[in-house]
Amino acid sequence: MDRNNLKEQTVRLEEFYLKNKRMPSYSEMLKVFRFRSKNAVFKKVNQLVKLGLFAKDKTGRLIPAGVQRPVRLLGFIQAGFPSPAEEETVDLMSLDEYLISNPQATYLLKVSGDSMLDAGIHPGDLVLVQKDLTPKNGDIVVACVDKEWTLKYFEKLKGKVRLRAANKKYLPIEPKEELVIAGVVIANVRKYK
Amino acid sequence: MSVSINSTTDFITFSSYPQAIAHIDCDAFFASCEQARDPYLKGKPLVTGQERGIISAASYEAKALGIKRGITLSEAKKIYPGLIIIPSDYELYSIYSERLFNIIRRFTPQVEEYSIDEAFCDLSGLRRMYRSSYPDISVRIKEAIRKELDITVSVGLSLSKTLAKICSRENKPDGFKALPGNELHDYLKNIPLERVCGFGPNTVALLGKYGINSVLDYIRRPKEFAQKILGKIGLELWLELRGVSVYPVSTDKKEKYLSISKTKTFMPASGNKQLVMAQLMRNLESAFIKLRRHSLSARNLTVYLKKVDFSAEGMQGRINRHSSSTLDFTSICSRIFDEVFQPGAVYRATGVILSDIKEGGFDEHDLFEDPVKIEQLQRVSAAVDEINQAFGKHTIHIAASNIIAKKASHPRNNLAWRKIELLKGETFRRRLNIPLLKLF
Repeated sequence: MDRNNLKEQTVRLEEFYLKNKRMPSYSEMLKVFRFRSKNAVFKKVNQLVKLGLFAKDKTGRLIPAGVQRPVRLLGFIQAGFPSPAEEETVDLMSLDEYLISNPQATYLLKVSGDSMLDAGIHPGDLVLVQKDLTPKNGDIVVACVDKEWTLKYFEKLKGKVRLRAANKKYLPIEPKEELVIAGVVIANVRKYK
Repeated sequence: MSVSINSTTDFITFSSYPQAIAHIDCDAFFASCEQARDPYLKGKPLVTGQERGIISAASYEAKALGIKRGITLSEAKKIYPGLIIIPSDYELYSIYSERLFNIIRRFTPQVEEYSIDEAFCDLSGLRRMYRSSYPDISVRIKEAIRKELDITVSVGLSLSKTLAKICSRENKPDGFKALPGNELHDYLKNIPLERVCGFGPNTVALLGKYGINSVLDYIRRPKEFAQKILGKIGLELWLELRGVSVYPVSTDKKEKYLSISKTKTFMPASGNKQLVMAQLMRNLESAFIKLRRHSLSARNLTVYLKKVDFSAEGMQGRINRHSSSTLDFTSICSRIFDEVFQPGAVYRATGVILSDIKEGGFDEHDLFEDPVKIEQLQRVSAAVDEINQAFGKHTIHIAASNIIAKKASHPRNNLAWRKIELLKGETFRRRLNIPLLKLF
């Protein structure tokens, strides 16, 4: 009952706004709300403000906060067409989002050594390593071999794991004991400037 | 067949999980973060706190040797000369902490950030969604943290926060303990009262006088007894320990009030008023340098003094407007100092905290104040910052801090590794927000 009433009064306020391009004064609201006392108007206004439907300005006058028929602003018009530029930005992602899929499990590692040179990973590069991925054939992994950490291709041949460098200087390794893999390389960052 | 029921086998409740609350507690958190970043440190006794001269965290390997939080580095080295000592890297710990809470929030939105390395989460009702039991869900959270952060946590699962916290301590480190309602009577009979968060030594001693020694003894007493002896808290804990959840898992973001603090321990400790005051003023200046660097202004100042026995006393003061000028706070700082300083006491550290901080706010002034003077103070600050930038921090300083020798404020070996190992494009002040592994 009260809800309907509120809805109806919101609609009447909106109609006033759309017709007059401004919000009504308190005395005008007597008419809009069909009230007889300004105190009742005051209470109703506070209720509407509390619900976030309208707001008050510094002097206490009502201003439209959530008038139901909003006018969409699409930027400056050129040659009669709206610029779609501002609308489109919501579909963009940051470089972080582009590079990282699980921010909780992603780490940085500064490359040293040339074991992945032919894969384009140079000493000094910054690789992004994701810890919660299960390495697949052909992935570049951060692995611990003979107590030394290196970057290698992860290869699985007939169920056997082999670590291969992207550099002819190094022979492939078939780990005999337990192989520790700290993560899978998901990106390489090289900053020039 | 006859069934005999005596009081020690009496069930507290028959249902297993009317609600399910987990407490997740990181194991030796700071040390574990260091070991996760640098796997060569795994399995080795290590402590953090090099910059303070006191151990702020010890790895389990160090704890096993009897090296604990709070003892001095020289004492620790006597116990084990091979001890690895690392300067604290709070930046790293904060990143791991944030990641920890985010991982837990993937499982349930109802997560309480209880401290930097502890969380409570409410799992009630999640069984259907995950098609698994509450213990299984808890283990999955634990497993995700291990996999993604490479640190271990201990998890307690039960019917209330108080019970969950008792459980998480059960099998530390890397532990898991689930305590369903129908096992309360059996488990709690062996749990001493000290294990309850909320029962201090005095309460334990008081309850001992009534012949109450275990948690079960306590909850076997009538409700009225708990209330009469220990009041409201006693009643609340009585309910919590019986599996009635009184304390909700609160997801309200602990209002992150921005504050800037500077504290420094000085060696040797001193009871010299002038010297302690000088140390305090130096901290005040450092805090304001940081405040201005971020274009902020503050209104509240908290000053605290720490004695050799680690007890600390402090007091807060407030000025009539926001300001970023050190000189606006010097008089209130020395007034608080005079109140707090006790002649005869020996101090080891002083600290300041600036709070009620806002962005900008330099142009604010009081009706009765001279805007010209405020403007002048700001220009003084700007000039001081500029000179110190060029000639070194604290080249120009408040006279009260004069007796401290001007020196590099960060001896290099006390800096966190990440502040030295800068990546291209990073500065001493700003670094990437992703942990840098130390493998090579």
